[in-house]
Amino acid sequence: MTLSPRRFAKPGRLIPAGTGETVIRVLLLSCAGLAVITIFFILAFLLRDGYPIFLETGTTDFLFGTEWNPTGYPVAQFGIIPLIAGTLCVTLGAMAIAVPLGISCAICIARLAPPAVRAVVKPAIELLAGIPSVVYGFFGLIVLTDWIRATFGVPSGESWLAGSIILGIMALPTIISVSEDAISCVPREFAEGSLALGATHWQTIARVIVPGALPGISAAVILGMGRAIGETMAVLMVTGNAAIIPSPLWNVLSPVRTLTGTLGIEMGEVAAGTMHYHALFGVAVVLLAITLVVNLAATTIIGRLREQYAPGKMLGRAVPGILRVPRLSPGVREWAQKVLLVAILSLIGLPFAGIAGYCGCAFLFSLAALSWRRVTPRTTQKIAFFLISAATAAVLLILAVILSDILVKGLPALSIEFLTEPPRDLGRSGGIFPAIVGTLYLVAGAIGLALPLGIGAAIYLSEYRTEGRLTKIVRTGTELLNGTPSIVFGLFGFAFLVLFLKFGVSLIAGQITLGLMILPTVIRTTEEALKGVPVSLREGSLALGATQWQTVSRVVIPPAVPGIVTGAILSIGRAAGETAPILFTAVVFSQRFLPDSPFSPVMALPYHLYILATNIPGAGANRYGTAVVLLLLVILFYAVAIGIRTHYQKNTHW
Amino acid sequence: MIGKRYPALIAVCLVVAIALFACGCTQPGEKTAQPTTPQGQARESISLSGSTTVLPVAQAAANAYMNTHANAEIMVTGGGSSVGIQAAGEGTAPIGMSSRDLKAEEKARYPDLVSTVIGNDGIAVIVHPSNTVGPLTLEQVKGIYQGKYTNWKELGGPDTTIVLVGRDSASGTREFFHEKVMNKEDFAAGQLEKNSNGAVKQTVAQTPGAIGYVGLGYLDGTVRAVPILVNGTPIEPSVRAVLDRKYPISRPLILVTKGEPAGLAKDFIRFLLSQEGQKILEKEGFVPLGQA
Amino acid sequence: MSHDTIIATEGLNLWYGDTRALADVSIQVPDRKVTALIGPSGCGKSTLIRCFNRMNDILPGCRIEGKVIFHGENIYDNGADPVSLRRRIGMVFQKPNPFPKSIYENVAYGPRIHGIRDRRILDSIVEESLRRAALWDEVRDRLSRSATSLSGGQQQRLCIARTLAVEPEVILMDEPCSALDPIATAKVEGLIDELKKQYCVIIVTHNMQQAARVSDYTGFMYLGRLIEFGGTTQIFESPRDELTENYITGRFG
Repeated sequence: MTLSPRRFAKPGRLIPAGTGETVIRVLLLSCAGLAVITIFFILAFLLRDGYPIFLETGTTDFLFGTEWNPTGYPVAQFGIIPLIAGTLCVTLGAMAIAVPLGISCAICIARLAPPAVRAVVKPAIELLAGIPSVVYGFFGLIVLTDWIRATFGVPSGESWLAGSIILGIMALPTIISVSEDAISCVPREFAEGSLALGATHWQTIARVIVPGALPGISAAVILGMGRAIGETMAVLMVTGNAAIIPSPLWNVLSPVRTLTGTLGIEMGEVAAGTMHYHALFGVAVVLLAITLVVNLAATTIIGRLREQYAPGKMLGRAVPGILRVPRLSPGVREWAQKVLLVAILSLIGLPFAGIAGYCGCAFLFSLAALSWRRVTPRTTQKIAFFLISAATAAVLLILAVILSDILVKGLPALSIEFLTEPPRDLGRSGGIFPAIVGTLYLVAGAIGLALPLGIGAAIYLSEYRTEGRLTKIVRTGTELLNGTPSIVFGLFGFAFLVLFLKFGVSLIAGQITLGLMILPTVIRTTEEALKGVPVSLREGSLALGATQWQTVSRVVIPPAVPGIVTGAILSIGRAAGETAPILFTAVVFSQRFLPDSPFSPVMALPYHLYILATNIPGAGANRYGTAVVLLLLVILFYAVAIGIRTHYQKNTHW
Repeated sequence: MIGKRYPALIAVCLVVAIALFACGCTQPGEKTAQPTTPQGQARESISLSGSTTVLPVAQAAANAYMNTHANAEIMVTGGGSSVGIQAAGEGTAPIGMSSRDLKAEEKARYPDLVSTVIGNDGIAVIVHPSNTVGPLTLEQVKGIYQGKYTNWKELGGPDTTIVLVGRDSASGTREFFHEKVMNKEDFAAGQLEKNSNGAVKQTVAQTPGAIGYVGLGYLDGTVRAVPILVNGTPIEPSVRAVLDRKYPISRPLILVTKGEPAGLAKDFIRFLLSQEGQKILEKEGFVPLGQA
Repeated sequence: MSHDTIIATEGLNLWYGDTRALADVSIQVPDRKVTALIGPSGCGKSTLIRCFNRMNDILPGCRIEGKVIFHGENIYDNGADPVSLRRRIGMVFQKPNPFPKSIYENVAYGPRIHGIRDRRILDSIVEESLRRAALWDEVRDRLSRSATSLSGGQQQRLCIARTLAVEPEVILMDEPCSALDPIATAKVEGLIDELKKQYCVIIVTHNMQQAARVSDYTGFMYLGRLIEFGGTTQIFESPRDELTENYITGRFG
């Protein structure tokens, strides 16, 4: 056999990669660098305006004071213990609702549902993420709090419980979407190995698949928690915002006030430079500190999980002894799991008959747990699948209720005129055309900024760097920002872009602010997606003499596209629906001409909705009409993104 | 195949990003600081920024003004009184809107701010429509908000627990209420706090035991305004009553400018103070300046 | 056949979507012997053994006709339960697939899911299974280490130990040595020799020398059909079918 003529350049000396490679490397590095700089810029900005309160009232009095009364007479009180308690209570409650529901739903979608159902349910749930928080807030205020008031016979339904339910619903799409990805990524061999031993489907899921997906699921929970801690607009509408510690401490019907709620309701009106103003920035700093602690704890746990399962592959970082998760003996752990499971499952009873329902359910489930051993694996499987399906049905029901509420009230308001005309009579009549255009501009700009920057930074961090100081800094920074309430971004945009750079209230200020807000999500999800690509693929490409960038662009990125797109989808939904970051930076209530330069202000749908809902009496129908348009717009973005993702998923197998 | 698109994509995005930053370096703000030629053909625009309470009036007036001045564009944005004062002080918006007086800190920071009162906002005490409680004195309202009364039957109403609904502590409305009604004494701790008039009304409308306070413009069939007893005479909250100085709770609406207003800003403020402007104000449920 | 048949197929057909992967396969597998299935890639040998423990059930778009008789029962009957079937018919896969758990937990996994909780019983099962898989001496000091820290050959023997721990009657091995080096392969082959004293072993292999070394019976498959089945010596020394002869003499494949 003769060799075909050589089609490659003659092998010469071993020369380093060409200039193209260097350019790309520098570009990616600058993305990562820019991400780091913005992150620390925002942190520095918060600290600068926050530190006077620590000097003035003293750190102890600020952090441990039990009274928040900024207008108190003769002395204002700035004690944030009630706010911290409120944040913790509402977040924990939300997680207690969202984590079991979300993971069940993810399992159902990834492992139980037939492909056709899966293809419908997954995007439907991601839509939940696209519903603007103002809409959740109004749904919560009008439907949920009233229902709680009537059901529990309390004077007002605005409570910790209402906040937890709304935040739980809002965290669900993130948790479901990300853990579903993680569960789907568990190699089929694990499942086969378990099934081949005679394990039931459920035993395989519970003991092999879910533990295998645990790092991803934990990441999902952290992302969801970030969303819950940072949420402002919805939570302040339903929790009542009374700065008190619930009494007794487990009174879920007590009104509470969160740290974010405090920022959300007081920030707009507080006079700049007053102690109250600094106190609010102090609150933002504390919020960041809480996020940091939560994230560090979670990172440690995930790190340990990964170490446990794959030593040698992941870098075993030394973990300080105090943070180590204590190793329990299997017996104790089993009991702990059971008790926890019973406690969480019993929450189902809460909505129906209050505390009595909870106790009743707890009793029933305890009985069930005690007789567990006598139950065959097959019955266990039936019960488990029933619960999982019920949870999924519940999530879909929630989605249906919220969507139908908006659609039924909003569709009648839609008309060609509504879509193509500027508003008249303060939005009570006329249309919302400029707001639609404005929102498109804002989202496009934000994505245009955050996507290349975030993806570039993530690629650099995950493909060009070994785990080092820079990656650690960026990761910590992004995790911090992920929990930063959107209103803080708004303030940053206002102080830095609008006032300091003298952009004025303008489109570009809004785009940059929104872009920065979604940057952490983009970086994080992209990194996760890249990490999911097996090392063997990279090695295979590099072994053929491909350069780093060729390997990254042709081998690593294509299979990671679905994951990256999922991140982008979540970001778009968030950017389109957010009010707080554009409130101070980009929007006007009404506009006659469309913006003609990046320095003109714009109208935007969520802001229009917010003003109609809070400050214009008698704009009911148009309010819901605006919500519907916003929702449809987000659905449109999603449809495109989901289409891209399905396209890539079809072509990706390994 | 797929890989080839990425360098291109990233390159495009980088170019855009650089372009954006380049724009940022050129002198922005020319839109807001255009030399004004009142009778000229050039399109002229100003923006008003600040209090969400003043926003509807400013917007309605802006619409009316723009109908007669084809080349003017007046854009109104919310954010809160503080945002408005800062924007005016920093010069990013020619006019700031505020529903409270400037604080000492703000005056110190921006000494050349000029305030113009354009009208008043009467504040009504509201309860759920099913609540049959009779007229209340200011002293009683204060007692309710201090937590002295916890059930409506103590005030001759139905046997329901009182739910306090108020505004957030940074709100101009609350500050005013705090001064005029509470005599600067503390509110009870369990008060539900809302960040807008609309939210207060919504909560009161669906909570049988609730009491709240909102601007006159928000009164409609879903809530009941409680008359206030002044020297033994019950006074229904209304624009008329505030104008006649019979109704005791009202506060000023303010526009702030950096230095004396000029150009379009000056013309627009003049329009707001004119008879036509004051009519718009009244139509939106606020109290015109009257003779005072 | 001179031995008891433990598992048999009758007219077995299998489709993946529109592709027919098995065509009218009828085979009788004797108990306590090693049966090898050989044939070129894609001939359906892996598909066939995956039919024996119904692992094809979990693949989408898979359709099966015909019977697989295990202890006189058709395992594809409506009432048949794949879960209890798989406990009795174990499987070792081509690529070692230990769970991301400790060595101990990997072996204890099977007994645990079948209801054994007593730590002492589990300890003894784990030790016995690892001994029988000839792995005990190598791992006895690091049972709590992650299974993924083992070498490929050790992982595969761990997977065998994991299978032994549930005391199956049949062990299916789907090219168990294809990812292993010669030394590890020799160990696994020695193990198979031991196992046939107590179990029926069915092994799919690419490697004809391996089939000749370890098996008592050999089946040759080609394009989804079972071309020839008989004693290993007979198949390798005097094949009746021309296709078989061509394959084992290396004239095609």
